[in-house]
Formats: sequence, structure tokens, C-alpha cells
Amino acid sequence: MGRKRRGRAAKKAGFWKRWSGWIFKLGLVALVLFGGLVIYLDAVVQEKFSGKRWAVPAKVYARPLELFAGQQLSKEDFLAELEALGYRTAQAARSPGQVSVAGSRVDVHTRGFAFSEGDEPAQHVSVRFDGNQVAGLAGHGNLVMARLEPLMIGGIYPAHNEDRVLIQLQESPPYLVESLVAVEDREFFQHFGVSPKGILRAAYVNMKAGGVVQGGSTLTQQLVKNFYLTSERSLLRKANEAIMAVLLELHYSKEDILEAYLNEVFLGQDGRRAVHGFGLASQYYFAQPLRELELHQVALLVGMVKGPSFYNPRRQPERAKQRRDLVIGMLAEQGVISEQHAQTAIAKPLDVAARGRLTDTSYPAFMDLIKRQLREEYRDEDLTSEGLRIFTSLDPVLQNKAERAVETTLKRLGPAPGDVEMESAMVVTSAQTGEVLALVGGRDPRFSGFNRALDASRPIGSLVKPAVFLTALEQPQRYSLITPIDDSPITLEAEPGKTWTPQNYGRESHGLVPLHVALSRSYNQATVRLGIDVGVPEVLKTIERMGVQHGWRPYPSMLLGSGPMTPLQVTDMYQTLANGGFNTPLRSIRSVLAPDGEPLGRYPFAVQQRFDSATIYLMQEAMIRVMTEGTGRSAYNLIPSTVRLAGKTGTTNDLRDSWFAGYSQDLLAVAWLGRDDNGATRLTGATGALQVWSAFMRDAHPQGLSATPPAGVDMAWIDPLTGQGSDPSCPGSIEEPFRKGFAPLPGPGCRPLIDTETVKDGANRVLDVIRGWLP
Amino acid sequence: MRYERFGLLAGCVMILAGCAGTGGTVPVVDAGRSVSSEEMRVGAGRQPVQQQPVAEPEESSVVVMVPDDAGGSRAIESYPLDGQPSWPQSEPQPAQQPSQQPAQSAPAQAPASSNGALQGDEQLDGPVLALLTVARDQEGRGDLGSASASLERAMRIAPREPQVLYRLAQVRLAQGDAAQAEQLAQRGLAYAADRPTLQAGLWNLIAEARDKQGNRAGAAEARERARVQL
Repeated sequence: MGRKRRGRAAKKAGFWKRWSGWIFKLGLVALVLFGGLVIYLDAVVQEKFSGKRWAVPAKVYARPLELFAGQQLSKEDFLAELEALGYRTAQAARSPGQVSVAGSRVDVHTRGFAFSEGDEPAQHVSVRFDGNQVAGLAGHGNLVMARLEPLMIGGIYPAHNEDRVLIQLQESPPYLVESLVAVEDREFFQHFGVSPKGILRAAYVNMKAGGVVQGGSTLTQQLVKNFYLTSERSLLRKANEAIMAVLLELHYSKEDILEAYLNEVFLGQDGRRAVHGFGLASQYYFAQPLRELELHQVALLVGMVKGPSFYNPRRQPERAKQRRDLVIGMLAEQGVISEQHAQTAIAKPLDVAARGRLTDTSYPAFMDLIKRQLREEYRDEDLTSEGLRIFTSLDPVLQNKAERAVETTLKRLGPAPGDVEMESAMVVTSAQTGEVLALVGGRDPRFSGFNRALDASRPIGSLVKPAVFLTALEQPQRYSLITPIDDSPITLEAEPGKTWTPQNYGRESHGLVPLHVALSRSYNQATVRLGIDVGVPEVLKTIERMGVQHGWRPYPSMLLGSGPMTPLQVTDMYQTLANGGFNTPLRSIRSVLAPDGEPLGRYPFAVQQRFDSATIYLMQEAMIRVMTEGTGRSAYNLIPSTVRLAGKTGTTNDLRDSWFAGYSQDLLAVAWLGRDDNGATRLTGATGALQVWSAFMRDAHPQGLSATPPAGVDMAWIDPLTGQGSDPSCPGSIEEPFRKGFAPLPGPGCRPLIDTETVKDGANRVLDVIRGWLP
Repeated sequence: MRYERFGLLAGCVMILAGCAGTGGTVPVVDAGRSVSSEEMRVGAGRQPVQQQPVAEPEESSVVVMVPDDAGGSRAIESYPLDGQPSWPQSEPQPAQQPSQQPAQSAPAQAPASSNGALQGDEQLDGPVLALLTVARDQEGRGDLGSASASLERAMRIAPREPQVLYRLAQVRLAQGDAAQAEQLAQRGLAYAADRPTLQAGLWNLIAEARDKQGNRAGAAEARERARVQL
């Protein structure tokens, strides 16, 4: 028995002896494995946290709005821009992002912006309006001009579409950190990465509330989860998360961790784009910079951390408000804010901004143009991850006017024959600088698909005619504005073996007409004769000099615009006319900046003189007559007749395409109307595209063309019937511009010395002929 | 024994972690940081920089360089408005007196220099003048890119102002783009009718640009035209 017992004891001791050795060895192995894991995790934690933490998509900005006395800008347009920028109405504009309106005066406290060529300070500016003009500015000191920050119009997102606007901890508004800590992790500033106390508290709170109100994991754990780990739920992952949280706390300060958290946290889904971080969330939900947010807005965002789609304030406003108020309540409970402060905040609405302000769906056609240019010059990964800032020339005010002109006119015109929807495109540029200010790619300006402004290549019809007439006017010894051109029927060999007999739109011929009349009435037969005279290849060369490399074959039908162009190409061509003969490559990007503000690319203004200014002036004079007495005159139903405009209608065979291209001193706009299936529209250039163009110009308040001729132009009085020099005293004589040295000599004055009946009779006949040319 | 093991384990972990770590320093290099447009909009603390296009009282005259008869450069002074009224922010603004309108910035006292005075149509508006001043400062600092950007800003406001084109052409020349300098000066000429001094300046600039492009004959011709203008 004793032996037995002893034996058993010995056995037991042996067991222990044997197994303790094993356990010790196993322990060692586990320790080594664990140590290895820790080393590995530590490397992971540090590698990602110390490098570039996020891929930041390039951000694209509109032009900054300039403010100065004399600026063409209405109060309504100014307020619309401020609203898009997320400015809030206040009693007095005291802090950045606030605006107050009093009669014709708008007080605004700008936010300031670091432009590449210098900082614009945040400042109080008082803007007085007078009609469609800024009458004066006032502010600190002698304020001559001020700039608003540019509107962000989109970004260039990678395939996984994760977007953020990085912020620093100091930029966070009051109560953001407090409420985040209060709601998500009360012990954040005390714990070492994991918080057993927090887990217990969460369990207690949740039990009391009867649901999951609080999570047990710390902010550090949440950051680790989002930053390093997949969303898989397992104990092993949870353990990894805890170890990494401790390691993160070991290496980095609470502030660093908090800042990373603020930038990492997922706060919503915008289509295919994931909204990360409080910086972007503030823009996305409130259209405001984060630092301007008030308590009730901060509380909403903090409340959404728990479930961004569940508490989406746009889809679930009531649920979101409940959650927000709960957050505010917690702050009051913990003494962060007073009970009264909480009540005021709870009384406020959600204040969420209208959707889609900063997504790239806002201006898809323009963004398409920008992206195409950028992709030629930058690698995709640089655009989607390097945080580049791209400054463009888009003018949101004019863009909205162009969109509205397209939408309302299409609505008014109704569908094309066969109840087919009509499509449209429009390009607006600055007439003098060649910057693209607005771009509409179709009837639905929000739809990002077929971009007709860039890709719909259609025959341009009579839009080609200025090139024919310009080619002629470049030979001043042969042609002036009053040179008679024969508008009688003509048949010629178009292509080998095929004859071509162009007809006028009204199927009438007009005999001999002055050159400017042939253009302003858009007579086809006269144009073809003129084009044949100067030579089709010469005309095609002129088009290339105007800025469009077309590759057209030199068929006579090209003289009437059988060659196709996109609206953007037409804009390029007309830009050279609007710009006094100087070709300017169209520009939409002003500069590209690296995150540190270093310019990566500048796109400087460049010009090249392609035509003599005097010739262009004559050409423009003829195009002004298109508007005053020719095919474009219905524009003045909408636009004040004091505004001098130049333009040209274009219509193609069977009324398939309706075009209009025209300009003022400051704006060039090209409009196209047609069908995607290239069917008939029943519209001419005048009844279709001109209506869109005029509706736009009416709202854009263009500056009229200058009537001052450039050097190289002489004005002379002529007898319009004979084209010979005359005198202002002669009845019916008119003043016409000529190239210097090619004006007819002045005729003798007409004094009523003798019986003037026969002269009068003759003059009346002359006038009748002239009247015949007039509408 | 058990506690010893735990202690050993903990010690090992600490040592391993310590070895793997960087000693507790914070090697954070946040390359994406200043991308934030938020940050860019931070303005409250920003000091008004000298680029700020405010016509400072002590800078109330701006010197536009226009070449003189000898072909060299000489200063022409033009004066901005004698300042806009600075209204108290809360009070309603009084009607602005016409004489204080920037558009009517005619100096009461014309510059004394002989043919340096600008003609009536050569007086520049407040914002354009302010931007020319900014561009001159930027050029003075050797920051030609910014000077060019400021001049283009002025050009957007006054696209047909030949003085802006003249200055832009000068900057392009300094940037080494003689061909563009020539084109910009040509464009300036198209809008400089009846302004012989400016025309001569533009022709001289064209001559310089043509010299740089190796076009001796063209340069000589431009110099000739500059002489004719004066």
C-alpha cells in the first residue's frame, strides 16, 4: 500500500517532471513564435504609419472668382458661387465662410487660399453691386481686389475609389475630439491601446440601452482595424488587432493616432467613391471646410462613425438626427458642454448640403476634357494617389448658364421628327485668352457618357464660310467687303465623274451681291463661286491656319461645310477670329501643383499671329452683319441691340445639324443641335443652335465688340450700288471699312444745285436695290 | 515558476518589441499632408503676404517700364487711385464718390517727366495696376513663373491692355521664350494704336526677341519701326 502510494506519488512526480519539461519547452516555442509575430506586426505597424499613409486622388478646381470694381458679376451669381462654396448666411460676416446680405451689398468673410503665385488672405470684403456689375469693394485698408477660394469640382479617382481630404489635428473644429472620445472611446487618453475598462463600460451601457450603443474597441483598435486589417471577423484577427494597437501606442503619440483616425475613418459612400476622413466628410455632407463646423454638425459626423449608411443623413434624416442628438446628450452628460448649449444644438436642423457638389458628376463633360489632357502628361498612379491639385479655367457661373440655355431651349423646341430626342453640345471660351469657361456634352449635363462637345464630329455646314471669305479678304487687291459676287446657279465637277449643283437655302438666286451680303445671308452659290475663285486648297489651308487640322480632301463641297468637326474644333477655329487673327490653343488647365505647392506644370498663355488684324476686322464686320441683318438677327430678340456681336449660322443637308458659332468682346460660344442617330431635326442653324446661343448670351451679359478699327483699316464713304467712292453728303452713301491703301478715292460731294428729281429717282432705285438686300 | 515564466515572457516581448522598434521616436513623414484644401483655406492666421494685390499707401505709384528714345528702359509712372474709402464694416456704406472710383484713377498731378506721362487712355485700372505691381515684385525676386501667372491674371481682367501684354512679353523673354515674347508684343501692337511710346517699346522688345532667335534682319527692321514711332 505504502509502496503503492509511494509508487503512485513517484509516478506523479515523474509525470510532472516529464510534462513540466515539455510545457516549458512548448512555452519557449510559443514565446518565440509570439515574439516573431510581434516583431512582424511591429514592422507592419511602423511601415505603414511612418510612410505616406494614404493615396490621395488629385483634386480639380474651378477658376477662383475675382472681385474688383467694374467686374461683370451680378449679385445673384455671386451669391450662387458663395453657396456652392458652402458659405453660410450670418447676421454679420465675422469668421471665414460667412456671408451677410443687405440690399445691393454683400459682406463676405473669405476663407483665404494658397495660390501658386501667392497667398490670398482670409479677409472681410464688402461688395457693392450695381446691376450686373461690381460697383465697389471695401475691406481692410485700400482693397483693390480680392479672390475667393476656387470651387473644387471633382477629383481623379483610382479604381478602388477611396477619397479623402487630409486634415491636421489642429484644423479640427471645437468638440470634434471631445465628442469622438466621448462616444467611441472614453479612456482614449489613458489607455495603452486596449481598454478592459472600456469593454466593461460598453457592455454595461449597451445592456442599459438595450442595444449596441457603444463599441468596446478603442479608437486605436478601430484605426488598426481600418488601416491594417481586413474586415474579417475572427478571434485571431481580434488578437492581432489588440497587439497592433498596443504596438501603435508604444511608438506614436496619442495626437498622431488621433490625427490618423480622423483621416482614416469611413464616413459614407458617394456612388463608387468611398468617403474617408472627417475632412472630406465635411465637404461631402456640409460643403464646408471642417474647421468651420458647429457643434450640431460635428455631432452628426461623430454619430455616423458607428454606421455611415445606417445613419446617412440624406437617406435617413430622422435616424441620423436621433443619433446626433444622442451624441450631443452624451457631451452634456459628461460636462463637456452646458445643458443649454446642448438644447440649442439639438434644436438645429441637420443642415446637410444638397448632393453632388464636389463629386466628379457635377461637370462630367469638363472633367472629361481635363482628364484627357492630364492623361497625356501624367501617369495614372500619379493622378490618383499623389495628391496633386489641378487648377482649371471652368467658370461655374457661366457653366450653369450654358446648361440652362441648353436645357430650356431643348425643352421649348421639343423632340425631333419621329419623337426622337434631340441632343446638344456647347463650348464657351474666353474670346481673348482661349480659356474654356464652360462645356456642355449633352442635353443632360449631369450625365457622364458620350461627350458630344469633344466627340460628336459632324459636318459644319455654313460655319465653314468665314474661312472662304477670309481667304478672299486676304487678297485686298481683289476683294473688299463690297466686291460684287455672283450668286447665280453653278454646276461643277465635285469628285471625278460626279457633278455638283449647290443650291441656296431658299432655292433662289440673287444675282450680283456685295461680298458681305453673300456671307450675312449665307448664300451658297455666291460662296461656292468665291471659293472656286480663291481655290479650294487655299480655303482648306486657311482653316488649318485658323487652328484646326482637319485632313479634308479638297472637294468643292468642302466650301459649304461637308467636312466634319467637333464643337471643340469649331471653337478652336472661331477663336482665331474672335482673337483678332491670333491663334491661341484652347486651354482648360492653368496649373498643376504638387502637394507641397510646387508647380509641376504651368500652361502659359501662348499666341501666334496667323492673320493680319485688319483683315480679321473686315471679316468680323461681315459677321456682325450676320447678326444685325442676316441669318443671325433673331439673337437680338433676346439680347439688347446695343451689344455688338459677330457670328455665323450653320445648317447641314436635310436639316441634320444645327450650328451656331459667335462671339462678343469677352465670350466665344459654339452651340450644336442634332441627333445621335444623325437623323433630320427640322432645324436650321437659326431656328435651333442660335436659340441656345442667344439664350446663353442673354444670361451671360457679354461685352459688345469694340467698334474701333485696328491700324491698317481705312474707313471710306462709298456708293453701295457702284462700289465707287462717294461722299457723306450723297444720299444713300455708306461708310465701309477697307484695308489700308485699298479704299476707293472719295467721290465729289452731292449738292442739290440743279433739279434733283431724276437723281432722286435714280437714288430711289438704288435704295430699292439696297432694300432688296435687307431683310 | 509560473510567475517566473510570465515574467520571462513579458521581458522577452519587451526586448523584442524594443529591438524591432525605433526607440519610441515618431518617424512620421506625412507626405500627403498639405494636399488638403482645408488647410489651404486656413486663412485666419495667415499674414497678408506682400503679393497681396492691395495698393499700399507707400506704393501708390507703379512704375511701368517703357523704353525711351535711346532704346533703353526708363520708368513711366502711372498712379493708381488715391485709395478707396475704407468703410467701417458694420455701418451702411456711403455712396462712393466718383473721384474715388478705381476706374477713374486719373492722377490729379500728372507725372513730371517729359514724355513719360501716360496718355488718357493709358491709365490703368486699380486691379490691373495692382497686379502689375505684384508681378514686378515677383520678377524682382526672380520668380518669373509667379510673375507670369500674375500678369495672366491681369490679362484676364483687361485682355486688350497692351501694357499688360508688354510686361508679359518681357517676362517671356526673361524666361527664355523669345518666340512667345515676339508674338505677345505683336499682339500688344494690335491694341496699341495711337500710343507711339508704347508702340516703340513693343517694337524694341520685338527687336530683342528676334535677336535672340537669330533673326538679325528682322531685328533691324523692328528697331527701325521703333524709331519711326517716336
